[in-house]
Amino acid sequence: MMSKKKKMTYYPGCSSQGSGRHLDESIRAILPDLGVDVVDIDDWNCCGASVGNIGGGPLPNLALTGRNLALAQEQGNQDIVTGCAACYLNTHGGNEKIKADVKKRRDVNDALGEAGLSYDYDLDVHHVMEVIVNDIGMEEVEKQATNKLKGLKVAGWVGCQTVRPFAGTETGGKYATYEDPTFLDEITEACGAEVTDFAPKTNCCGGSVAVMKPEKTLHLMKTILDAAVESGADVVSTPCPLCQTNLEMYQDAINKEFGTNYNMPVVFPSQLIAVAMGKDKEKDAGLQRQTIRSKKLEDMAK
Amino acid sequence: MSEEVFEHKPAAYLCGGCGIKDALDMDALETAITGGMMVSNVKQSDAFCSGKGLETIKSDMKSGDVNQAIVAGCSPRVMVQEFNEVGGQVFRANMREQVIWQQPANNEDTQALATDNMRMAITQARKSEPPQAHWDGATSLKLLVVGGGITGLTAAREASKTGAQVVIVEKTDKLGGWAGKWSKFIPENAPYREPEDNPVPALIAEVENDDNITVLFDTIVDRTEGGPGEFSCRLKNGSGTNWDIYGAVVLATGWRPYTSEDQKKFGIGETDGVVTDIEMEEKLSSGDLKDVKNIIFIIPGDSDRMVYSSGVSDKVAIKQALQMTQADPDVMAYIIHEDFRSHGLAEEFYRHAQEKGVIFQRGEVKSISSDRTVTVDDELLGLEIPMSGIDLVVVSTGMVPNSTNIDLEATERGADQLKSDINPVAPIFTVNGTQVDEDLAETAADAEAEETIPEGGPLLNLQYRQGPHVPVLANGFADSHYICFPYETRRSGIYTAGPVRRAMTASEAINDAQGAVLKAIQAMRQANEAKAVHPRAGDLSFPEFGLDICTKCRRCTVECPFGAIDEDPETDYPVVNPTRCRRCGTCMGACPVSTISFKNYNPAQVSDMVAAGTEECPPDKPRILVLACENDAYPAMDMAGINRLEASPYMRVIPVRCLGSVTLLWVKTALEKGYDGIMLLGCKSGDDYQCHFVKGSGIAQERMSKVGDTLRSMMMEEERVQVNEIAIADSERVTQILNNFGKQIEDIGLNPFKGF
Amino acid sequence: MTVPMPTSSRKYDLNFARWVRDNVAGGDKMNMCMQCGTCSGSCPIGTEMEDGPRKLFMMIRAGMKEEVLSSNSVWECTSCYRCVVRCPRGVPVTYLMQGLAALASKEGYAPKVENNYFSRYFWKSVELTGKTDERLVPTAYFFSFGLIEGIKRSLGNLKIAFNMAKAGRMHIGLPHRIKDTKGLKAILAKAAQIEDQKS
Ligand code: SF4
Ligand code: SF4
Ligand code: SF4
Ligand code: SF4
Ligand code: SF4
Ligand code: SF4
Repeated sequence: MMSKKKKMTYYPGCSSQGSGRHLDESIRAILPDLGVDVVDIDDWNCCGASVGNIGGGPLPNLALTGRNLALAQEQGNQDIVTGCAACYLNTHGGNEKIKADVKKRRDVNDALGEAGLSYDYDLDVHHVMEVIVNDIGMEEVEKQATNKLKGLKVAGWVGCQTVRPFAGTETGGKYATYEDPTFLDEITEACGAEVTDFAPKTNCCGGSVAVMKPEKTLHLMKTILDAAVESGADVVSTPCPLCQTNLEMYQDAINKEFGTNYNMPVVFPSQLIAVAMGKDKEKDAGLQRQTIRSKKLEDMAK
Repeated sequence: MSEEVFEHKPAAYLCGGCGIKDALDMDALETAITGGMMVSNVKQSDAFCSGKGLETIKSDMKSGDVNQAIVAGCSPRVMVQEFNEVGGQVFRANMREQVIWQQPANNEDTQALATDNMRMAITQARKSEPPQAHWDGATSLKLLVVGGGITGLTAAREASKTGAQVVIVEKTDKLGGWAGKWSKFIPENAPYREPEDNPVPALIAEVENDDNITVLFDTIVDRTEGGPGEFSCRLKNGSGTNWDIYGAVVLATGWRPYTSEDQKKFGIGETDGVVTDIEMEEKLSSGDLKDVKNIIFIIPGDSDRMVYSSGVSDKVAIKQALQMTQADPDVMAYIIHEDFRSHGLAEEFYRHAQEKGVIFQRGEVKSISSDRTVTVDDELLGLEIPMSGIDLVVVSTGMVPNSTNIDLEATERGADQLKSDINPVAPIFTVNGTQVDEDLAETAADAEAEETIPEGGPLLNLQYRQGPHVPVLANGFADSHYICFPYETRRSGIYTAGPVRRAMTASEAINDAQGAVLKAIQAMRQANEAKAVHPRAGDLSFPEFGLDICTKCRRCTVECPFGAIDEDPETDYPVVNPTRCRRCGTCMGACPVSTISFKNYNPAQVSDMVAAGTEECPPDKPRILVLACENDAYPAMDMAGINRLEASPYMRVIPVRCLGSVTLLWVKTALEKGYDGIMLLGCKSGDDYQCHFVKGSGIAQERMSKVGDTLRSMMMEEERVQVNEIAIADSERVTQILNNFGKQIEDIGLNPFKGF
Repeated sequence: MTVPMPTSSRKYDLNFARWVRDNVAGGDKMNMCMQCGTCSGSCPIGTEMEDGPRKLFMMIRAGMKEEVLSSNSVWECTSCYRCVVRCPRGVPVTYLMQGLAALASKEGYAPKVENNYFSRYFWKSVELTGKTDERLVPTAYFFSFGLIEGIKRSLGNLKIAFNMAKAGRMHIGLPHRIKDTKGLKAILAKAAQIEDQKS
């Protein structure tokens, strides 16, 4: 539990303005009550996601991260928190590269100089999950989750990039391992919901390849849905916006391809926390933004 | 033989510690001891291993009232040092590992087992006298080192450091051997990543300036007699021969290059720019490699290379590749291997080479063209890849052990010996000089041995009954007890070190020499005090022969694994070369008339112990006799106790020095005294033996195969006597074997002689 | 040390491994690969790859530049990092996959690879606006296959788009932009220039 309020710089990422709006909304809704005040990076740009490297090349891609870090530094030098797995991976990874490599540091700063910016490389980048687990603590979540989600069965699907490759490293998180992370289930329990026995916790949904060539990745998502349904889950909970969108929007295609008839709601843990904290079901938890909705969860929400 | 009559003054010390007194009725045990076992002096303590407990025994010994302490407590394998220092003979009754840790507490059968263990230990004491030095002749403390390469040089230097006089015999006219020529060494120091400087020149200088060391060039050993402490060697050089006495011998004759047909096919010596790794060393030393930008090292996969290289040339390839990239970072070095071994710390070396850009490629080299285009069948890609623009191709070779002197003619007797060395099958029995079991020699392993007999004459020309050679193992490597005592050979006092006993790196040879020297010095010193060398180091007991009833059957002479017994050329009676004897007792087990004995270990003694184990046995209870080798099987049984594995309470266990020391007398006694089954536990025998005494276990199996007749003549089932091979780690297996045996015996039914 | 880019005229080029080592992100660790196959075995999309990372690294060492840069494997990688966290030799497999893809793209290999298009449109969107527009990138990407194919592919996504829009998760209207597009453009141009100077 935190003794006094923590201030952090918030990096919403591109998905916050589109497919991941409900992630963004629910994070903003819960963090202040849980003791973390956030201020957005002013005029943030895209992180480069997982293809920026290829499309733009390594250094321009790194410069994207550099710009965000420089802006955050300019704004008051608070550590950065982000809710998007790709933003976290790129920004954290890029930050570590800049810290570790004198040459990269110089090159990035040379580029930033073109816009009158510079970065001194003394910020850290965190994932919102990491902040919840390490800084806020499950006890605090449990205490504030007064509207317990009794009877809701949740399959915790962490996905890949949230915990890889930095989980378990000194700088990267120390909040879970990449093979069998437990934090998501702990959040589910703190909200008073029930954890189902779900094995493919860190399976990849196909990420951006799923967006480009769904036919190559549908089977990946099907594996995840199979396991979730078999575990008896009412909803799947995942911290990653791309995972959430992919798994939700490709269910029709999966049903068509494999003759299944899946209709599994996929939500963010921050939405679960928001509902459990008794926040507004639309304004805060963003439940109306699900394309596959969970009546059970909505009935519990205030 | 001891002249004075030894007066037995036993006392029993019952330890109640380690939970013993909670599981056993100590007072009942004491009553049984003072009563039926007739030892009146009994003491109890909560820990005899404590200072106070030991003091009790010590002061009893000092007072002269006691000279034999029978300690009932933990296994004889633990607290050895503590109890050995109390100042008299100590006997141990195992109450902890093999009783209370494996049996239910406060139970009738458990109590009976404990009581019998005590009775057997007291019987052992009663038939035991303190061994005395049997020998006090002057013995030599001078070390003979054969070979002046890195192994021999290190051995000499290390021995000299202990104050010993050393003579190095070198066949050529200079010191240093192969290793002296190497440009760099495979790393032997942390972090094991960079090639290291060659230490040989400094080592030579050190040896040359050492007053304790004499170097004889152009010299070989022409003849060797005697044993540890008294090796009598004739040295020969161009100008004649010369006799001298040595305490021990370190054989460091090294190796010679090995090139197989498979390796020659790459064009060594034919295609320009295709060389062996040994030639590459010379190039690296002379620095004549400036134009080499692309270099390929080939580690061929033929099985002989594996035998004769054993990972050495693999490490050499790493070293040479690293040397090349270090000299010029633009060099591309490829190591193409079918198999690759860089075991142990060399993993670091391998990793480092990878970091430095050396590329490891797994595949078979199909061909090398005249312009050195190397075509590789890459196993991991499944493709044939032509690699062109290669400036130099280096082919890995191997090391053939110099376990014989190839400059000398092979002798017929020598060849026979080498063959039987390679395949030490069960013993060949001779009764009055004739072989009784000829077909034993005709095994497949034997035929294989025939093929790998090394060429050449003997290195030491030993005057031993088994033949002139230092024994060899498969593929011609010089003898080594590679499981436990790597430098030890089947000839006491002769130690092999370095590549003569297996392919190894120069740095490994240094370690080897250090180890062998310690063994050699120990052997000289023990011989000097009439004590046994390993594995019974320090043992003063010695086989004594009662020639009055000896039938001159020659079993003892033939079966002694160490050639310690010869026939007297005049009388034909057995005579012992005392310092060669390792006190295994195999001769004792062999003697049909039981006339060989040790002061503290003899046929009558164990026979009585066997009887003591069933003395109080109720007619309706089974009893199984376990004769367990004290080196492997007995510790495995102790380990079963430590692991609390439940065992049958009907076993009566007697540790024996070696299964080879078990005489048929004991088996006969056991059957007569009403044991229902007999289990002999020895070690792995055959050509991959693990036995400390080389062939004891095999001999015992051979002997027991003859017990069937005896059993049948007594109208008993053959299954009642069994032999098993147990390794020291087999605690679960040994328990299972014994428990199954117990069940089997129950099924057969009790011994009809029970109670008679 | 910089070695010239290996020529593509030769099928096997022993310099390629060194070139990758010195010029591709993570390339300095590529040689540590001990060919255990943990990466390929762990890869969720390994079944879709022609080669998989393990084999790709061996091909690099064998100097198979052409095959490596035209392999579909580098394009199928989803960047899930499972290989990275499991590699016993600490090889940053994902970086290498991305680095090789970038190299292939730059060298004009694999122009027909779908992910290559996607990456390019994605980057264009970033360069232009500072953000990615989830609506524009896929559409442009789909139409990069040609008009007919583009309509087919976008229609396939139509229902999804409709649902997303209904849920308020599809941005309607002009693309989002950062305020300082000029500054960003300058930064990226400079970065690209620095990078070009290096190789
Ligand atoms: S270790 Fe042995 S001597 Fe010591 S208390 Fe235990 S049983 Fe007794
Ligand atoms: S058999 Fe054993 S005890 Fe007997 S003489 Fe030989 S070495 Fe000594
Ligand atoms: S001592 Fe025994 S074994 Fe040896 S020759 Fe005499 S009778 Fe035979
Ligand atoms: S020869 Fe075998 S049975 Fe005999 S002591 Fe050695 S290990 Fe034991
Ligand atoms: S997991 Fe690592 S070491 Fe194993 S094959 Fe893949 S890259 Fe090589
Ligand atoms: S990061 Fe790429 S190569 Fe590695 S496991 Fe994931 S999809 Fe496969």
